[in-house]
Amino acid sequence: MSLAADTSPMRGLGRIGCLGWRLAGAALILGAAVLGGICIGETRIPPGTVLAVLANRLFDAGFPVAPIDDGIVWAYRLTRALVAAGCGAGLAVCGVILQALLRNPLADPYLLGISAGASTGAVLVAVAGIGAGAVSMSLGAFAGAVAAFAIVAALARAAGGGVGTRGAGLIILSGIAGSQLFNALTSFLIARSANAEQARGILFWLMGNLSGVRWPDVALALPAAVLIVVVALWHTRALDAFTFGADSAAALGVPVRRVQALLILATALATAALVSITGSIGFVGLVVPHAARLLAGPRHGTMMPLAALIGAVFLIAADVLSRIVVPGQVLPIGVVTALVGAPAFALILVRGRAAG
Amino acid sequence: MQFPSLRAGLAGLALLAATPAPAQQTVYPLTLDNCGHKITFPARPDNVVTVGQAATEVLYALGVEDRMAGTSLWFNSVMPAFAEADAKVERIADNTPSFESVVGKRPGFVPTMYEWMIGPQGAVGTREQFADLGIPAYVMPPDCIGKDNLSGGDGTRTADFDIATLYQSIAEMAAIMDRQDQGAEVIAALKAREAKAVETAKALSLPDASAVVWFSSADMDLDPYVAGQRGIPAWMMRQLGLRNVVQSDEEWPTVGWEAIAKADPSVVVIAKMDRRRFPADDYEKKLAFLKSDPVTSQMTAVRNGRILIIDAEAMHPALQIVDGLEALTDGMKALSQ
Amino acid sequence: MRLCGEGLGWRSGSHWIVQDVTLEIAPGEVFGLIGPNGSGKSTLLRLLAGLSRPTRGEALLDGTPLGRLGAREVARRLAFVQQQAETADRITVRDAVELGRTPWLSALQPWSAEDDRHVARAIAATDMQRFEARDWATLSGGERQRVHIARALAQQPRVLLLDEPTNHLDIRHQLSILQLVAGLGLTTVIALHDLNQAMGCDRLGVMQGGRLVAVGAPAEILTPPLLERVFGVRARALVDPDDGTRHLRFDPIA
Repeated sequence: MSLAADTSPMRGLGRIGCLGWRLAGAALILGAAVLGGICIGETRIPPGTVLAVLANRLFDAGFPVAPIDDGIVWAYRLTRALVAAGCGAGLAVCGVILQALLRNPLADPYLLGISAGASTGAVLVAVAGIGAGAVSMSLGAFAGAVAAFAIVAALARAAGGGVGTRGAGLIILSGIAGSQLFNALTSFLIARSANAEQARGILFWLMGNLSGVRWPDVALALPAAVLIVVVALWHTRALDAFTFGADSAAALGVPVRRVQALLILATALATAALVSITGSIGFVGLVVPHAARLLAGPRHGTMMPLAALIGAVFLIAADVLSRIVVPGQVLPIGVVTALVGAPAFALILVRGRAAG
Repeated sequence: MQFPSLRAGLAGLALLAATPAPAQQTVYPLTLDNCGHKITFPARPDNVVTVGQAATEVLYALGVEDRMAGTSLWFNSVMPAFAEADAKVERIADNTPSFESVVGKRPGFVPTMYEWMIGPQGAVGTREQFADLGIPAYVMPPDCIGKDNLSGGDGTRTADFDIATLYQSIAEMAAIMDRQDQGAEVIAALKAREAKAVETAKALSLPDASAVVWFSSADMDLDPYVAGQRGIPAWMMRQLGLRNVVQSDEEWPTVGWEAIAKADPSVVVIAKMDRRRFPADDYEKKLAFLKSDPVTSQMTAVRNGRILIIDAEAMHPALQIVDGLEALTDGMKALSQ
Repeated sequence: MRLCGEGLGWRSGSHWIVQDVTLEIAPGEVFGLIGPNGSGKSTLLRLLAGLSRPTRGEALLDGTPLGRLGAREVARRLAFVQQQAETADRITVRDAVELGRTPWLSALQPWSAEDDRHVARAIAATDMQRFEARDWATLSGGERQRVHIARALAQQPRVLLLDEPTNHLDIRHQLSILQLVAGLGLTTVIALHDLNQAMGCDRLGVMQGGRLVAVGAPAEILTPPLLERVFGVRARALVDPDDGTRHLRFDPIA
């Protein structure tokens, strides 16, 4: 499935027009998804009330609304939907970048040890009591993620990882080593000191959880997501150049070392920020790039924005599902993404082969 | 010499009257059924090792600290009344002890307050492991009667909590340690206080009031651990005629703030504890959260200051249950005035 | 466009893979690089292409050191075709060739009709018009190599460097690739294994143990003494009575 026709130039105004339509379409889809995320939740709030709250908050409309409903819609559900969108887009884009740079279709944002490090950091705070209740799990998670990435990067460098096929392989192996180390640390801490209550809290975090999200989290998640999406879009051509490997990219004039360092660092920081807010939500960074590739072809210029959009909508939908599937209970969102993501991945693989 | 025989006789009579009924002695070997498991004590146990503060304090109340070799699993500092006794007994572990450290004391009796400590998935060991070494392990009835500990985070109750199971624990442990009279006294005292608290509670005759009990949360903003329908806090609420807004049968389910806020309970009860594992352990942080969160601050209970603070220990199946009931009753009394 | 290396050296650990190589490629000539395995041919090519930074010496394009030019500038003048470059991506031939325009594109210079023209020309030059819409995965080895060359051509290079482009191809594709390269008219440096194929080059450079041990016309270079010394084989030159071309005949290893 190729978009050879699509990549031919759209001259002048026509091209901008087409781009404009696409942006408008994307914005519409995203807006609809966010609205859906706000309307559906654990308790029933009529759509009319939801719209009234939004009108009040955005346009000072002055509709009569119960303060609890107003709080739930604005402070709970809207923030959740926004963070879900940001996380989904950010993780998907990070997955695209890593799969392109490391030339590995199984690469995902957690490859660099970030998720494992974040878990260790969160567990240190929640179970070992580091910070004595003054440090939140999120802060611990971010610190853990950054520490793990630093160790993985140092290991990769020491092993000679870098550009080239062998280099990419070494980066992946270093990431695996780092992840295993930190996962072991997490298990050790849980086994040593957690009681059932703590273990449950950690498990929820380890599998992804949006229930603690408020506006300050939005202020961290959205900029991080926007930043990584912008950086990714800026580098789509460079990522294309990696199609035949790092040497080929260098021969095509891409400053490979600089691009690789910049993109990996940006990916790591964005992922660390997102994971520290939501816990490790799996499958988004792995599966969404493949879905985007299946729909839009392998050229990063077209599939990257699509990946961001699919990621955002997917995670909003997963969050909604996690709240309504079991009445009275909220499932960890990572469970939903895995349950949906695994069959979706299988479908993509089969469809991809058939289309070939 | 005036009337020595009469004096002696009167003295003897007085003595007879003053002497209590002959002490109830336990006959060994003692076999009893502990939640469907038969355990046998060949003789009066020595070197008792406890797993769980509740079991420890029951034994202190029975005055058998001299026959205890070790304690473990503590949540709070020991009740002041037992501080002296506690000083005499070695603390093996603040948290979960290892199997070896327990059996290394060659205990004749290992009581625990939680089945997830000694049970099918026991963190310390299984009953079979202890039985293999000839050590009788005992799970206090509040945690194994009418409770399924294999599901739910802290177990799921199949029947509402009944304080009778606590009295049963005390009676059984007294029998095992051959301190039945002491046990009976403790139970009688508790029953008296319970009855008084229940009477005061009934006298309040609160209108249709509802409540939620917030223990703690894994992180300040995350979904809170609240009391389920059938556990100890729910029992206390029932005595007071309070409706628990939480429907789950789990012991401490996590319920979203959205659902709690929508249920809008008349009273919010928060737990106070010494532990600082989670930021939300601190009751002052819980208060601050309730008042500052955009949704919880709109709850009727929070706006009207109807927030009660109860000791966390009272929510465990322990001697402090009745303290907790009293505290809750007093709190509701103060609120209704 | 003049490509030359001055005192080029490259070291890995304590071992010198390329040592003190100085050579100058005349504009428009087809320069063959031969030598036994491990003689440093690939590394020398990478140094000349600017893909590896020399430990000593420098590679110059029209008198300017490659390091000073910047990757983009170099890519606009010089194209490098690897021995074997694979991808698992589901791209078409046209997608692959379009990658060659990368050094000419930027945020301010997006895709234009000009780029289309260069791509079309490159595809035509490699005779791949029928394959434009084909999936990469469906191509044979020879066809893939042609696509790589087309991609290199789309870069509008003045210099073309090829690292053993025919190694894994069947005989027909080997010959067609060599014919194609020879007919392009670009300054070309091509690393080869087959010494008879090397005969077709304008000049040859012989590498041994990281050093350039001989440079000159094929007839002068491929003499039995050199072949014995460098390659460890005994050979005789035969002349084709029809057109006078030289051909090497190798004796069995004693």
